Amino acid sequence: MVAFALASFAVLLIAWIVAPDQPRSTAHMDPAPPEVEPAAA
Amino acid sequence: MPEINSGDTAWILASAALVMLMTPGLALFYGGLVRRKNVLSTIMHSFFILGLVSVTWVLWGYTLAFGPDTGLGLIGGLEWLGLESVTGAPSDVYATTVPHLAFMAFQMMFAIITPALITGAFAERKRFKAFVLFAVAWSTFVYAPIAHWVWSPDGWLFDLGVLDFAGGTVVHLSSGIAALVAALFIGRRTGLVEPATEPHDIPMTVLGAGLLWFGWFGFNAGSALSANGVAATAFVTTNTAAGMAAITWVTISWLHKGTPSVIGAAIGAVAGLVAITPAAGFVTPAASILIGLGVGVICYGAAQLRLRSHIDDALDVFAVHGVGGAFGAIATGVFATTAVNAAGFDGLLNGNPGQVVTQLIGVGSVALYSATATAAILFVINLLVPIRVPGTEEETGLDLAQHGEAAYQS
Repeated sequence: MVAFALASFAVLLIAWIVAPDQPRSTAHMDPAPPEVEPAAA
Repeated sequence: MPEINSGDTAWILASAALVMLMTPGLALFYGGLVRRKNVLSTIMHSFFILGLVSVTWVLWGYTLAFGPDTGLGLIGGLEWLGLESVTGAPSDVYATTVPHLAFMAFQMMFAIITPALITGAFAERKRFKAFVLFAVAWSTFVYAPIAHWVWSPDGWLFDLGVLDFAGGTVVHLSSGIAALVAALFIGRRTGLVEPATEPHDIPMTVLGAGLLWFGWFGFNAGSALSANGVAATAFVTTNTAAGMAAITWVTISWLHKGTPSVIGAAIGAVAGLVAITPAAGFVTPAASILIGLGVGVICYGAAQLRLRSHIDDALDVFAVHGVGGAFGAIATGVFATTAVNAAGFDGLLNGNPGQVVTQLIGVGSVALYSATATAAILFVINLLVPIRVPGTEEETGLDLAQHGEAAYQS
């Protein structure tokens, strides 16, 4: 059981090493679009 | 066969929970001190370590720190890997009136908060992936051996007679020195406006300090490992030193800069808590007032010196935990008395000047090992993963650049 627990942690450790270093989408870092005034009725 | 005492067990389990709360408290304490674009990344460091070391401690940390000695007093063996043989029955060696698992859990919370303390030094510029690898390596190769040296009955510093009631050297000095090394290794933040960046949320920092102060009752009074008079002494000395250091720091900053700083009150309280940690169960309440006074003066001075230096220990981990931990360890050698705790030793003021020398050996060896091992760990990790984020990410802020989330909407 201990060996399986160690192995499960090792899997996470490998995942941390190969995981992307930045968010996959950078859309959240783009400047917000200018607010548009609603058209007058 | 040792017998379980229900009062002791209840106190140790409650203390473990109190110490656990210190790490989220630290997250808030640090989180308020950084700029708003880095608050989530700063909080994440502490919160991730809470999960990470909870697992590594069970798997291998506890056996390396507290397992049967391998022969030289340097490190525990692997007999308790994955908590094999660590059960609800008491240990023959540690806290013999509580379940061994309760003692293990209490110690786990110390192992969690110690690497979290270091994160204040490299705040606002450390790559998260490198941070994760650093936390695993540091808790394994630095914290576990030092805990073994000081707290295992076979540890070489324990054999030498070093007094460290709750972690002045094991927790605070080791992390403070590591913080200094990390700050030197990773370099200064870019675009830093001196003398310091403005903390973005002071109420958050004060809330964090309050949670730290609250949890510290478990940290220190729990380290009596029994619900007894030593625990009560540690409780009182802890609170007294924190109070004295807080009002001392505020007074000095008031005289020095013209205002009674709120952040100063929070940091001063933490400095007092740090300094009383090694002494809490060995000194009288009156001595704790002097320790609080001394650490308030010394750590304030250390923080001012750091500001004038080119070392960007972002949240003054070295000035508070490194200097405060060393001061507290030496002060323990001065003020300790067996009238408070028969299991300790008398200090300088009670006719045993040699205890100061012993404490100095403890401080020097822990500092030297932590500095060397931390530098080696950072060097190796930097070969695998660059420790520092690129300048553009630093400018954007780590919350967005590393975590893809923002703390505030506007």
